[in-house]
Amino acid sequence: MTETAAYLYAIARGVDPDRLAGTPGLDGEPLRVVDHRGLVAVVSEVDLADYGEEGLRRNLEDLAWLEQVARGHDDVVQRVAALGPVTPLRLATICLDDDGVRARLDEWYDALQAALDRVQGRQEWSVKAYADDRPAAAPAEEPATTGAGAGAAYLQRKKASTLQRASAQDRALELAERVHHALAGRSVASRRLQPQDPRLTGHEGTMTLNGAYLVEEAEAGAFAMEADELAAAHPEARIEVHGPWPPYSFATLDPT
Amino acid sequence: MTSSTLESLDTRSEPTGQIALVDLLDRLLGTGVVLAGDVVISLAGVDLVQVRLHALVTTVRAEMAAAGRGVA
Repeated sequence: MTETAAYLYAIARGVDPDRLAGTPGLDGEPLRVVDHRGLVAVVSEVDLADYGEEGLRRNLEDLAWLEQVARGHDDVVQRVAALGPVTPLRLATICLDDDGVRARLDEWYDALQAALDRVQGRQEWSVKAYADDRPAAAPAEEPATTGAGAGAAYLQRKKASTLQRASAQDRALELAERVHHALAGRSVASRRLQPQDPRLTGHEGTMTLNGAYLVEEAEAGAFAMEADELAAAHPEARIEVHGPWPPYSFATLDPT
Repeated sequence: MTSSTLESLDTRSEPTGQIALVDLLDRLLGTGVVLAGDVVISLAGVDLVQVRLHALVTTVRAEMAAAGRGVA
């Protein structure tokens, strides 16, 4: 008999466990809830051989495993988000038994309620901007000079091209700032995540904005329209809009 | 960077509605609620974000190498 533990996907409020039936958890295990003081922890059983300390250390280095768990985790969170306010938990949050789950709900009760209040009726949108890194049209080739003038002309061209690149970068960062500011104005909350590495995403150019925006459900249309307008107004940057997603970036626990 | 081996990580190739893996990992590992569970407590020494990047970059490099293209 293998040892199992409870994998926690999310904490929610007002979720009818019957409506989770039919959504499988990780490894096909059925979802269940730990209902405690009005908070609902959505969990399923996992094998400690894979999700214990040793197993996790090994598995987290395995991209296929990581992807499968991340997708499975997200599927459950999306399902729960359709039923009520939800605070998704970090990947691989595991308690040995339901008493452990209830202890966490007690410990973080006020912060969880506050987080659920903050995200209720709201969704997360992602907006990214990319700057084109290719240098603008190459400076016109100057007539060949000889003697002492050649070196100076070369240095001058070099300096001009460096300046040009620097100012293009400044403009791209300034545009990212403006886009973020405009969208933050349409959001309840916003944050800028670390720009992603092109080696991970395959994107071209430099990511100048990796923004997350918490938007009222009723405002989603206006938000997406504003983002599209910004994208159309700034063809020099590529702007990508994704969403709506569960409020992953905003379900944070403030230690108050 | 248009190799098909990278498409699973490419945000542009994701079907609508599905969150790109790299975005999902940003959120599942980097932001959001961190409730220390029983197992995660003992994992506290491991920087999960580093683990993630290490796993992803290693895989991407391995795929590029397999595709016969060097990685600088």
